[in-house]
Amino acid sequence: MALLGRRNVFLLLAAIACVVPAFANPYHLFVANLVLIYALLAIGLNILVGYAGQLAFANAAMFGIGAYTTGLLQVHFSFPFWLAFPCGALVATVIGLALALPALRLSGLYLALSTLAFAQFTQWVFLHWEKITFGAGGFKTPRISFDPLPISKPVGLYYLSLVIVIAFVIFAQNVIASRIGRAFVAVRDSEPAAASLGVDLLRYKALAFGISGFYAGTAGGLYSQMLNFVSPEGYDLFQMVLQKAMIVIGGIGSIAGSLLGAGTVILLLEALREVKGAQEVVFGGLLVLFVIFLRGGIVSVLRRYVAGWDEPLRNPQREAEPDAPPIAATVEKPAQ
Amino acid sequence: MTAPILSIRDVGVSFGGLTVLDGVNLDVQPGEIRGLIGPNGAGKTTLLNVICGIYRPSRGSLTLDGVSVVGRKTSEIARLGLGRTFQTSQLFAGMTVLENLMTGLHRRSTTDFLSAGFGLSKSRAEERHIEEEARRALDFVGMGQFADRPGSALSFGQQRVVEIARTLIGEPKVVLLDEPAVGLSLNRLAEFDTLLRRIRTEKGVTLLLIEHVIRLVMDVCDKVTVMNFGNVIADGTPADVRDNPQVIEAYLGKELRARSSAS
Ligand SMILES: Nc1ncnc2c1ncn2[C@@H]1O[C@H](COP(=O)(O)OP(=O)(O)O)[C@@H](O)[C@H]1O
Ligand SMILES: [Mg+2]
Repeated sequence: MALLGRRNVFLLLAAIACVVPAFANPYHLFVANLVLIYALLAIGLNILVGYAGQLAFANAAMFGIGAYTTGLLQVHFSFPFWLAFPCGALVATVIGLALALPALRLSGLYLALSTLAFAQFTQWVFLHWEKITFGAGGFKTPRISFDPLPISKPVGLYYLSLVIVIAFVIFAQNVIASRIGRAFVAVRDSEPAAASLGVDLLRYKALAFGISGFYAGTAGGLYSQMLNFVSPEGYDLFQMVLQKAMIVIGGIGSIAGSLLGAGTVILLLEALREVKGAQEVVFGGLLVLFVIFLRGGIVSVLRRYVAGWDEPLRNPQREAEPDAPPIAATVEKPAQ
Repeated sequence: MTAPILSIRDVGVSFGGLTVLDGVNLDVQPGEIRGLIGPNGAGKTTLLNVICGIYRPSRGSLTLDGVSVVGRKTSEIARLGLGRTFQTSQLFAGMTVLENLMTGLHRRSTTDFLSAGFGLSKSRAEERHIEEEARRALDFVGMGQFADRPGSALSFGQQRVVEIARTLIGEPKVVLLDEPAVGLSLNRLAEFDTLLRRIRTEKGVTLLLIEHVIRLVMDVCDKVTVMNFGNVIADGTPADVRDNPQVIEAYLGKELRARSSAS
């Protein structure tokens, strides 16, 4: 029997995550919470890019929209966090859905450029709509308290994030293992074939954009509360690169890979924080190494060596299949 | 004579001034296997793309089982009962063969996004049912042992067969096949005749088949339509078409003369 297996790896990760606050100093707890927030971002992005194949660059902007909406509703309208937070996620979802409209007409590079333009526009709004967003300097947001629970705010927020991550991981896994996940991959691999099997392209692109918007918006709300501060540079292009790096390093088209990528990248960045200038160099080098030598990401190693890993829609093409027969001519051309 | 299940009337398509289809008429009766032949560039694939809604005709009408399909989305036409395969393999490369088949059941399954995400028991039950049915459909085309292989590990001919199975599993009324026998070995080609006939008799599916392997068309099809330069130039039983002087001139020429002198 598979002692390891995918499910058990998840359970082990969850168990470790549960006991972190017992051992961690405040800094460690902060980093652990950051990993959880990035796990949400990476899962959402992986569903959109890795599964549905939409090369979009708006995830950092969605993250920002979640954070700004959550923060600003508290500051301007005195919303309690518990109301502002879901509103932030909802606004990011709706904007994500709207972004799917250009995606029906555009693909590849053009989609990348148009979503990039949207992200830059969002930055511009954060920076220049000063009356509302407080401009480049950003703004403070109120701290929540977990009274009457006997826990501090960082510990409370950590467990809130953990519960959300566990729920969102299970939800994402279920979606991917269903006809919805297959429809995403069908759209990614061949739009004409997907449509000819009855998969509505607009519907599934919109769904993927909506899910990624929801996950990023939720992450944004948590992030604003973790820092109790919101400013534009947290949601810029480097942020987007960071998130893309997570899914490349963890494994494109894998929920587990998203988690592993988020953890690896954040821990690495923190470990290198001491060494001046090393962050960029090591980070860049690592990305190149993965792109060249380990296309399937960390998760492709797990798939090979962990018995019973057995992920649905596991993107077999990206892995070398040692005992498969020679691959016959597979000419991928658009439908003619 | 019953009403045609697929009816194409005076359909025209042009791409920026280039007329590719110029008033095509074609009726296919329920249960028929219809061959569609013609030289390269005649407009056969374009006709298929118009039927399934990838291109919109500039004129004419198209009905599937009495329902007009002009202006509808490809996915919607698929749900009305049209299946197709493509001239180049369009297996989903990121899926196993079984998952490809399961995707073919998309239009016959109903689990929505939230029930799937929350893992409701009815969605799990449907998922189990989808998997069982997909395995049966693979067995129908004799590819059961490849279920867990990635599609890309199959030979080109095997990929075509899986693609046909993936279309059939959605229970379409009409299936359009674009050069399905390309890449089949001679052995497989012999089985392919049988497969096409079984599709008709066991699944009750009407087939419209573009094919360059003339022997296959002549042996399997009830009727054959010949296209050239965006027009239908002949339409009839294989024997009629074979003897039609216009067809012989336009296309079949050498190949058929060789065949009749051999027999
Ligand atoms: N999207 C398109 N844009 C422009 N020309 C096209 C397009 N699709 C097909 N054609 C042209 O239409 C003609 C018929 O092509 P096609 O239908 O593929 O022929 P067949 O399948 O009979 O070989 C060809 O001359 C081809 O170049
Ligand atoms: Mg063609």
